[in-house]
Amino acid sequence: MFKVLRDLLRYNREFLIGFILTASLVIYASLHFFSPYDNTAIYLLPPDMPPSPDYWLGTTSRGQDIFWQISAALWNTMTFGITVTVISRMLALTMGMISGYIGGRGDRVLMTINDTLIALPNLPILLLVYFVMREQMNWAILAVVTACLSWNYDARIIRSVALSLRQREFTRHAVYAGMSMPQVLVRQHMPYVMPIVFFTAMNNLIFAIGIEVTLAVLGFIDLNRPTIGGMINWANQHQAIVAGVWWWIAFPIIAIVLLFLGLFLLAISINEYIDPRSRLARMGG
Amino acid sequence: MLTTAEAEQRTGTVLEVKNLKAYYQMNYFGVQREVRAVDDITLSIKRNEVYGIAGESSSGKSSLIKTIAGAINPPLRVVDGSVKFDFDGNFVDVYGEPGSMNSARWRHLSYIMQGSMNVLNPVRRVKRSFEDFAFEHMGLSKAEFWPRVRQHLEKLGLNPNVLEAYPHQLSGGMRQRLTIALATVCEPEFIIADEPTTALDVLVQQDVLGLIKDVQERMGSSIIFVTHDMTVHAAIADRIGIVYAGRLVEEGPSIDIFRRPQHPYTAHLISSLPRLGDPKRRQALAGKPPNLADPPPACRFHPRCPLAIDKCKTDNPPLVARETGRVACWRAGEVEVS
Repeated sequence: MFKVLRDLLRYNREFLIGFILTASLVIYASLHFFSPYDNTAIYLLPPDMPPSPDYWLGTTSRGQDIFWQISAALWNTMTFGITVTVISRMLALTMGMISGYIGGRGDRVLMTINDTLIALPNLPILLLVYFVMREQMNWAILAVVTACLSWNYDARIIRSVALSLRQREFTRHAVYAGMSMPQVLVRQHMPYVMPIVFFTAMNNLIFAIGIEVTLAVLGFIDLNRPTIGGMINWANQHQAIVAGVWWWIAFPIIAIVLLFLGLFLLAISINEYIDPRSRLARMGG
Repeated sequence: MLTTAEAEQRTGTVLEVKNLKAYYQMNYFGVQREVRAVDDITLSIKRNEVYGIAGESSSGKSSLIKTIAGAINPPLRVVDGSVKFDFDGNFVDVYGEPGSMNSARWRHLSYIMQGSMNVLNPVRRVKRSFEDFAFEHMGLSKAEFWPRVRQHLEKLGLNPNVLEAYPHQLSGGMRQRLTIALATVCEPEFIIADEPTTALDVLVQQDVLGLIKDVQERMGSSIIFVTHDMTVHAAIADRIGIVYAGRLVEEGPSIDIFRRPQHPYTAHLISSLPRLGDPKRRQALAGKPPNLADPPPACRFHPRCPLAIDKCKTDNPPLVARETGRVACWRAGEVEVS
């Protein structure tokens, strides 16, 4: 694992840039644990202060320090994204592998569920869930719902691999040697499927963060918890642009664009690394 | 591990196949089709014996051996008959109660599958494959298991360090040898091998055959194997069974099959082998093996048989005992090997 990372950093410029971007944003986000202010408190500081040595990225109209707000917001947004990714990867992995392995009627049932979920539009369903569960809604429930809506495509990819693995000699051999289905899936098939899980995880993370920002900008989320989308929403509420408080809306957007860029570069370079031919071409043999 | 004297003492019957019928039963779009790949086969194999099954492609060799191993999946189904093993008083009826095979797998009975050099999982180290396939069946602790595996590999002339390798780092011959090591690490009484040397060049093939023979002699186990390559049969088989169109047509000690074939089909099979210093052109047998979904009536070989008489078209010849083996032909023994 360490060697792979070192090779990627040495030979792949996209990965290097993506890695530096993402890593520095993660460090920045984890700084919020040392924040001098309470993240949810308002009117602590003079409002509408432009960026200055005292307040590096300025303050909001609600009297919050934008530097520390973005730090906490990035942390929450990434937590949401990673939660969605982990849950949806587990769903995709189990559904895809089981469906491909058992085949026949079970496969058809699972894939019908899968295709139904693919056909449903994500955003209206999330809004519906939000309105139905308004009272109990928090980020964890939203993460579970988003995860349930985003495993489908990848389950199909994993299933297609599992279909082929099922026919290989080592699977038949394992079954003949008396291994049970969970043993075959976990010990024989999972190592084969994990690279797919990793690279789809990156795309899924980007998707999840995008969903969270979209919902927060529209206000369909707990707005007292700092998130990137939540900050943009508040800035709009206070008509930050009209009021000339451009730093309130510009810096969260820059932060999220940098995060997307970093993750995107990581995703494409990992894709390239997983394909051995492009990897060899890049490393010169 | 047995001494040679002990190995020679094991002479009872270890495998008993009786009237085995296994058909591919398919029902596509309301059309019922039945392919009789294994049709009424009876054979038995003694301890310490190497039994070879020969026949051309699509004659049902692999189906037969899969059925014997109990490794069949639909649409292939056993319609009738039985396959029974006797491992030193440990009886296993493969198509008896479900689950009766479980105690025997790997411990008493191992199966080298077709394309067996691919049984090692490409994304896992070789030692993990050993752990997955053999560990549970040996009843040893981890501390005893690994020395045993290493010792076994050394006995087979393999460097135990290959355990740390991934399959793609090894050559095809090496993987094949590892597969044989994997199949024999539990020292089973019975080994089933489906085309164990296909896809290897003659030199590696020689090596692998020597290895199989060596293991078999050392452990006093029995082997049943399938291949269309008659030279492999000549090299290791004690007895050979010739399969044509799902039926056993002749069976006998290897030497008799090669020297004095009784069935016209066997005779053609033998005479198609090239011989040193013989410039004569080899005659191909006209026609092709019959479609097993719609086989010819009575003797299935009669449309291609140069000796066919009217009786062959109406009555199926039974497999009857001759001096040394068994043969199913109305005109057995009348054929000459060219």
